[in-house]
Amino acid sequence: MSREVAWRLFAGEFNDARKSLTEGTGDRAPTFVLTPLGAKVNRVLVSGVLTDVENLGTDAEPMYRGRVSDPTGTWHLYAGQYQPIAAAALGKAQPPTILTVIGKAKTFTTDQGAVYVSVRPERLKTVDGASRDFSLLEAARSLKRRLAIVRAAYGLETPTPETVRALGCTAAAADGIVKAVAEYGKVDLSRYQAMLAEGLRYLVPEEREAREAVAVDAEAPKAGDDDKVLTLLGGLDRDGKGAAWDELVAAAAKGGLDASALEQAVDLLLDRGAIYEPVLGRIKRI
Amino acid sequence: MATETETHVKDIVKALGNRVPETEIARELENYVNVYRVTLDTAKKSIVKKHGGNPAALVTAAANRSIKDLQTGEASVNLLCRVVYAERRTVNVQDGAKEILTGILGDDSGTVPFTAWEAEGLDLAKGDVLRVQNAYTKDYKGKIEVHLGTRAVITREPPETLPFPGKSSTPSGPLKAVTIADLKDGMGNLSLRGRVLQVEPKEVTVEGAKKTVFQGVLADASGRVQFSAWKDFGLRAGTALQLEGGYVRSYRGLPQLSFDDRSKVQVLADDDLPGLEQLAQAPRAWIEDLAERGGAVDVTLRGIVVDVKEGSGLIQRCPECRRVLAKEGCRLHGTVKGQSDLRVKAVVDDGSGALTAIFGRELTEALLGKTLEQCLTDAREAMNAEVVRDALTDLLVAQPLEVRGNVTSDDYGLMMMVEEARVLRVDVQEEARAMLAELEEHP
Repeated sequence: MSREVAWRLFAGEFNDARKSLTEGTGDRAPTFVLTPLGAKVNRVLVSGVLTDVENLGTDAEPMYRGRVSDPTGTWHLYAGQYQPIAAAALGKAQPPTILTVIGKAKTFTTDQGAVYVSVRPERLKTVDGASRDFSLLEAARSLKRRLAIVRAAYGLETPTPETVRALGCTAAAADGIVKAVAEYGKVDLSRYQAMLAEGLRYLVPEEREAREAVAVDAEAPKAGDDDKVLTLLGGLDRDGKGAAWDELVAAAAKGGLDASALEQAVDLLLDRGAIYEPVLGRIKRI
Repeated sequence: MATETETHVKDIVKALGNRVPETEIARELENYVNVYRVTLDTAKKSIVKKHGGNPAALVTAAANRSIKDLQTGEASVNLLCRVVYAERRTVNVQDGAKEILTGILGDDSGTVPFTAWEAEGLDLAKGDVLRVQNAYTKDYKGKIEVHLGTRAVITREPPETLPFPGKSSTPSGPLKAVTIADLKDGMGNLSLRGRVLQVEPKEVTVEGAKKTVFQGVLADASGRVQFSAWKDFGLRAGTALQLEGGYVRSYRGLPQLSFDDRSKVQVLADDDLPGLEQLAQAPRAWIEDLAERGGAVDVTLRGIVVDVKEGSGLIQRCPECRRVLAKEGCRLHGTVKGQSDLRVKAVVDDGSGALTAIFGRELTEALLGKTLEQCLTDAREAMNAEVVRDALTDLLVAQPLEVRGNVTSDDYGLMMMVEEARVLRVDVQEEARAMLAELEEHP
């Protein structure tokens, strides 16, 4: 049995995934997280900045949750007793630090049916900025190649593994794309085109500086949004287990906060240490 | 009526390898059919069995098949074919070692790899024409293979039964125009252009006779392949040639091209192949392509080390056979005094696939910046041989590398014996700028 490849991906694409697949039968049949662009991800190579680590378990049985950010979003890492080496390394890591993580892609489905993706690290290593940039460049190359094939596949009347393969990709890639179309439909590719540009700009210093100057004005959360979110969380947390993310999104929308404004406010509060995620998909005030 | 009986008698005699006279068989058949009144079919089988033959040899009714029409998973296949290549191999099976014959069979329509599992007494040589009955086919890594099991019957036929397809004077099969990257196990009758990168004569003994084989590496723009020329074609490093004929055998996924006096080799005076210097650069390969091909000679990969496997670092080797020692000693030589050595078994991943890369002692010392002796001292001080592996893991995991070497494959996937390795430095900014510009031009 040959080893599964470690995909180079951006967090933005990975976090859009809502579907897991198992290929073959038996205990050792590999599972994959299927992204909307048809990446069938069993293993992934993540490179980014570790922004926080938390032990959700006990000292005796730790379960570390780490958040690693890349230019397109945040990776969620979970390492516990079954990943002793990676868990020890994650527990010792001092954010902020640049990490490269090799791990397995996992999905988690809430009782409400919402699906979240995360990474279970196998290997974890502190690296320098140049090494991280190389991984991001590879993620950009991979996304660019996938976008081109997916765009061509969307042009086909009914994409099949054979017709997609004829567009110039491997059988495995064609299979993923056909399954993604069946699962997600034809998604808006401009979102991923923008993600690709975002990732690349991050790697070019003059582009990065120009964006940061704009970002200070446009992307800072509006004053007061963070307080609104805290108030909402208080109301939604009925059993002390925190508020479900879906409910928070719905309540925020009613209160005039769109998804991106909410996300920015939540990020700010997480950074400030005012809220945390006790389990994936739930937010709680501290 | 008489002629029909005669045909059946001939069938039986043939199935018994002409060991029993026709008159005797005719008498027996008469006895079975007319006195005991068993069906003709049963009678024939019984007679063959009685004389110690294989009743399966009687199955002559099914027509011979063309190799190119073979499907995977066929239970009974008859072929009239020629041995393109055959060799004896010893394989490990459940109850110990077993000798098998493996090689390539060919007819006008194509060639196919074969394995004969009952090799004892079976003596097949290149060029033999065979009538194969009751073979079966299987799929191996997406390719069809012919298997000759206990039920198979192999009879030799006179050579003129099947005109030789590869013979240049009587070309009967169509030549297949290929590039070196196309070469796969079992291919024959090729039309190929390439430049000899290196070649040297080697004395070998084939079936008791001394022979000179010219071994080397042939390259074109698509890749390179090891070759064996069984005749002196006057090849030198730099020679550009046009080959017609030849066949391909794979060793652990690594294709090997062979050709002999039945192939036509023309040295090209004038050619448009890339020059020797250009071809000497190992081509950059993607692991997903290598996985499809099964292996390649001298390629360059760029990837990231994603794991350093067990068996890396300080190891002990058998002084007799150089095998890595397990706790209980050498697999072949039992308890021996091991010799220390250094190596790395790393997983290198280029985003398209992953392979195991083996770094020998010299490369490992260079990567670590330490000699074997220093590593032994480290291990003694720590009282733990694993410290060397830990140091290698620390050093290599997440490290982008460029590695060069031969790639082979087995059931566990691809493996590279690394000849050269260097830390990969890429001008990320420059490449990102170029991609960004392209993106803005063609949104």
